[in-house]
Amino acid sequence: MIEIKYFGVVAEKTKCEFEKIPFSEVSLQQLLQDLEEKYQFDSLTFSVAVNQKIVPKASNFTLQTSDVVALLPPFAGG
Amino acid sequence: MKDSTRYNRQIILPEIGENGQYKLSKAKILIIGAGGLGAAVLPYLAAAGVGEIGIVDDDVIEVSNLQRQVIYKTSAVGNYKVEEAKAMVLELNPLVKVNAIAEKLSGKNAIALFEQYDIVVDATDNLSIKYLINDACVVTNKPMVYGSIFRFQGQVSVFNYQNGPTYRCLYPDENNKSINCEDAGVIGISVGIIGMLQANEVNKIILEIGEVLSGKILVYNVLNNEQQKYDFEKNTAFEMNKTIFEEKYKVAENQIEEIAAESIANEIDNDEILFLDVRNEDEVPKMNFKNGIQISLANLESEIEKLNRNQTIYIYCQSGIRSKAAAKLLQRKNFKNVKSIAGGVLKLKQFLNEENISI
Repeated sequence: MIEIKYFGVVAEKTKCEFEKIPFSEVSLQQLLQDLEEKYQFDSLTFSVAVNQKIVPKASNFTLQTSDVVALLPPFAGG
Repeated sequence: MKDSTRYNRQIILPEIGENGQYKLSKAKILIIGAGGLGAAVLPYLAAAGVGEIGIVDDDVIEVSNLQRQVIYKTSAVGNYKVEEAKAMVLELNPLVKVNAIAEKLSGKNAIALFEQYDIVVDATDNLSIKYLINDACVVTNKPMVYGSIFRFQGQVSVFNYQNGPTYRCLYPDENNKSINCEDAGVIGISVGIIGMLQANEVNKIILEIGEVLSGKILVYNVLNNEQQKYDFEKNTAFEMNKTIFEEKYKVAENQIEEIAAESIANEIDNDEILFLDVRNEDEVPKMNFKNGIQISLANLESEIEKLNRNQTIYIYCQSGIRSKAAAKLLQRKNFKNVKSIAGGVLKLKQFLNEENISI
């Protein structure tokens, strides 16, 4: 299982703060693309973290089982 | 009352002591934004004895601010936030020097302002200004203590700390959109908690204790008390210096220097100065400057070679609006010393008549 955490406006789109997806060979880019199709993030920007570490948006690698991915949009309120 | 009595409970902490209190008294902190976050950060830094605090905000207090900006009183609605904030601090701790700056932060004033302080606190509520604060902090080499809110969640981090990662390393895409408290809604407790975490980072930086949240972003959810820290690295591809800053924020272009009609009296016969009329040829009243020329704003660009880039040029039109545009254009074309006469011919004629000066 891969766990995905959602924050801020992204969580409003997904209507949940986290979910687990059954693990099969999946690359980070593939996962992001699947999520985009599922939730239609459109113009929302967010940074992506894998296991508590922000990774470059374009980076690609195969996710391991038990990895935790987080989508972190910027907040603007104050 | 001795200062040491006021600060006794923190001075007796081994991590602070007299030496730490001295560091606090020497610290100069600039808080950008006197809204929810600012209202949380400010009283705690002031009470702890930070030596000098600047607060930047050009807003006045509205009734809808009071549920979260808890330093303001109902009776102060309509007053400038920075003025009220200053009064609050002086009552709380008169040992603190407070600078109330009722201005909007911009590319024009940011660098000069940041240079006067040690640490900049981002307590603002929109994204574009966070990039401006970030960039100005990089140029002036100041740490930026960042906080922001989305409904019941908040983020805290310290950017550009000892040359560490910046806001742009975390969010490189400047054109992203996020909504602020006004549109998203917020409770006072959320901004209070996040502001308090920012004040805590400021305190640790000053005292050089604990671990500063540099290269990490803390995300806090007040509804379930979950907090996460995410690491991020410095992106060296991002370049910022004073030249890039000035270009990006169009500092020069916006800095059109205006000269008052009154200041011209002594310079009317100065041969070194060219008086440029950018009105159309048929506009009256005419001004008969000894060293004058007329090129309409519309023709200015095509006839620019009639002018000398190194000469001092005073530009005028009827009321001072077209002359500003002309000054902007000439500055873009690398003219070194151009000024726009404020109020234009109308103001100038009036002044000359009053002073009985004829040209």
